[in-house]
Amino acid sequence: MNDRRIWWFFIVPCMLVAVAVVMSLAAVFQYSFREFVPGSLETGGFTLDNFYSIGRPVYFLVILDTLLISFLTAVFCLLLSYPVAYALVRTQSEWVRTLLVILSITPLFTGEIVRTYAWMLVLGSDGFINSTLMALGIVSRPVQFMYTKFGVIVALVHFSMPVMIIMLATAVSHVNRDFEKAAANLGAAPLTVFWRVTVPLTMAGIVASTVVIFAWTMSAFATPQLIGGGKVLMISNLVYLQGLSSFNFPIAAVLSAVAFIVAVGSLALVQPFVTRLERRVAEQ
Amino acid sequence: MGKFLFWTLITVILVFLTVPAVVVIMSSVNPTETLAFPPKGFSLHWYARAFTYQDFRDSFYNGMVVTLFASTIASVIGVAAAYVTHRYNFRGRRLLEFLLAAPLIIPRFTTGFGFLLVGAGLGINNGYTIVIITHIVLVLPFVTRSVYVSLVNVDRTLERSAANLGASPVTVLLRITLPLLTPGIVGGWIIAAILSFTEFTASLFVTSYATQTLPVAMYTYVREYTDPTIAAISALLIISTTLGMFIVDRTLGLKRVLAIESH
Amino acid sequence: MAIRMKGLLAAAILLAGTGIASAQDKLVVSIWGGNWRDGAQEAIATEFTKRTGIEVQFITGGTMDRLTKAKLSAGAPEADVTLTTSHVAYLYSSDNLFEKLDTSKIPNLKDAYPVAQRSPYTIGLYSYVYAPAYRTDLMPADYKITSWKDLWSDQLKDKLGLPDFDPSHIIIAAAKLSGADVKDWKEGIPMLEKLKPNIKAFYQSDATSQELMKTGETPVQVLLSINAYHQMSQGIPIKLVIPEEGGVVGIDAVGISAGTKMADAAYEFINTALDPQVQEKLCGIYKCSPMNSKAHVSAELAAMPGIFTSVEELQKQILVDDETRAKLLPEWKSWFTENMTR
Repeated sequence: MNDRRIWWFFIVPCMLVAVAVVMSLAAVFQYSFREFVPGSLETGGFTLDNFYSIGRPVYFLVILDTLLISFLTAVFCLLLSYPVAYALVRTQSEWVRTLLVILSITPLFTGEIVRTYAWMLVLGSDGFINSTLMALGIVSRPVQFMYTKFGVIVALVHFSMPVMIIMLATAVSHVNRDFEKAAANLGAAPLTVFWRVTVPLTMAGIVASTVVIFAWTMSAFATPQLIGGGKVLMISNLVYLQGLSSFNFPIAAVLSAVAFIVAVGSLALVQPFVTRLERRVAEQ
Repeated sequence: MGKFLFWTLITVILVFLTVPAVVVIMSSVNPTETLAFPPKGFSLHWYARAFTYQDFRDSFYNGMVVTLFASTIASVIGVAAAYVTHRYNFRGRRLLEFLLAAPLIIPRFTTGFGFLLVGAGLGINNGYTIVIITHIVLVLPFVTRSVYVSLVNVDRTLERSAANLGASPVTVLLRITLPLLTPGIVGGWIIAAILSFTEFTASLFVTSYATQTLPVAMYTYVREYTDPTIAAISALLIISTTLGMFIVDRTLGLKRVLAIESH
Repeated sequence: MAIRMKGLLAAAILLAGTGIASAQDKLVVSIWGGNWRDGAQEAIATEFTKRTGIEVQFITGGTMDRLTKAKLSAGAPEADVTLTTSHVAYLYSSDNLFEKLDTSKIPNLKDAYPVAQRSPYTIGLYSYVYAPAYRTDLMPADYKITSWKDLWSDQLKDKLGLPDFDPSHIIIAAAKLSGADVKDWKEGIPMLEKLKPNIKAFYQSDATSQELMKTGETPVQVLLSINAYHQMSQGIPIKLVIPEEGGVVGIDAVGISAGTKMADAAYEFINTALDPQVQEKLCGIYKCSPMNSKAHVSAELAAMPGIFTSVEELQKQILVDDETRAKLLPEWKSWFTENMTR
């Protein structure tokens, strides 16, 4: 009977939140079926036209760009975060661990705007990178980083690293060292132990965190807005341009739906795989 | 040799991670308005402006209010969500898990816009409530995940022993399970608080001028002025946060808080 | 557990209630931020407070963002008075967001130019132009602009900055250069397509525009005259040029939010803003042209490009009526976003 009480106390708030999520989604997505009346927030009747508009080059290319940028961000983020996460967990020295944690996590605190603006200072024609390159005589004219996909990706990778480092560190810390010791005892070199024991054992964490960062980056807004400067558009920026600035809520809603479906799709596709991996590790 | 290469790699990555922060701090003491790097002198007057600019003061207060409520409430609900999805099997469990995690995937822009529309319909757009609700929805997945990881690692035999000794399920929950979940709950709360205080995209939609949070005020400032005041605020945030992390490490132990055990 | 949760919820509701508290005795005015707000504070608000004892609270944001937020809070407006671009003000009034004005409550209106009466709902406060401007130190010494057509020159490859929140000016210019009326703007499309290689970046706000000029990323921009002068006062060497076809005129107008509880104060605010001395002060700060015929424009100011001292001078520029511009704006924005930004 007491168990029932726990059940109800716990399930009710969860359902309230779930309802709130559904309401907010419904409020937006119902616009995708309404006809856009230029210049007004009022909409016409039911229509499927908005979905056909997605095929138009401008929207389609932005969607592809967003997928590409999110994918590259997730991959590079993984490549840079794993070593740090590994070092963080495995170092023998406490102060090194503290240093690594503080240096990796601190960027998270400064907020989207601050970090994006900081990257503008670093990437601009007058910025840190160009000033250094020119001072060292490596280039004679500033290299273009701002308003390029490259600049946006660099900033996005930086943005995602703290979260990925935390997630990967958790995964690495749960690896049973006995397996690694066994492999070493059998004569494997450290690098082999790493690739064939440690990494597979953390595969669930790798896949889960990569997909999370991919999905998260799909909705990036401030970074492409300020560093892309209108020339690198991701879905969020287009939604802002067409939605808020042009009152085309219907198109904004459809674009949001696309981003949502892609992100959900990727997570759903990966979920059973991750569960299987986790179970396999737990069974060892 | 391998070790040397490894640590060189780590150092390079760390430089990448910290360069923006360093550049910001150096620019914040630049005496002239031009946000240039390297700085051409030293002046603290942008810090003075950051402290006295009314919008920043108001939004800092707003951010504190929203974050405190949102992360605390989200932590409570996160425990509930993790427990219910881990310990019970019921119809619609998958759906519930999906809906609660959905805000991770739904563009924050869409979530913010959606709640703005809901708030407009309910007529509550000028208050904190809608902002707090939005933030709860956004940070809940992180708290839930953190608590879930701890929950998975809870030794069920401890719970069973307590039950065998006559403890009711509620007592087992309150005196065995929850204390064991502390690292996950605290870690989740901290992550939730950070994410809420620095959340920008959704907040841009659901806040009104009166309830705007610090990131929104900063974005507005960046659109309206081009002086290094933002660099000054950022420098303050960076320094205070680094100190904060240091203190948390000394007292609670960062590894426990972030659910990272060392071997 | 339950008690704690209920307690938190109750506290949340209480606090949310306090969050709704808007400043009771203040007049809330919606305006652009930065130098716009600062100028309005100095010229209009201080005088208004002196006359009425009521404090002014400015709320700021971009042009379209403020309109969208206003539309969404239609029943309970956050602002009592809104200052915005005249053709956007038309959109406010066509959505029933403004109250019909009782002009008897604005005595200073009798001295204003007839163009100040933009509509039964809005009053124009000052005018300016959008025109090309360039960094004198980053362009060759003999560089000059005489016509809008010069923006299409190969010399400007990868150098041009344009606003993305309001593409009207370049579209209007292209239409005119193609010999078409604004209503037939589509005839200017081939020209606009040819402009693309010259466009380096778009600016979403005044500050972004200033950054682009300051760093030299876009040494040539289509710029609002008031912003050009503001940037010059910040030490950036710019020259603003009124092309031979004229600059695209803009008028900023003010309206009173429907449903406001501070109507009397709002009328007094508008009246203060139209006062000749206040107009002089405002235009001295902004470097704009006043709407009150009795406002004195110094010789120094009158000589600057983009400043007009009479209606005749204004007529020589490119003028588009509010209704046409408002109705075409969404179409322009859609087209511009789809075709020009990539």
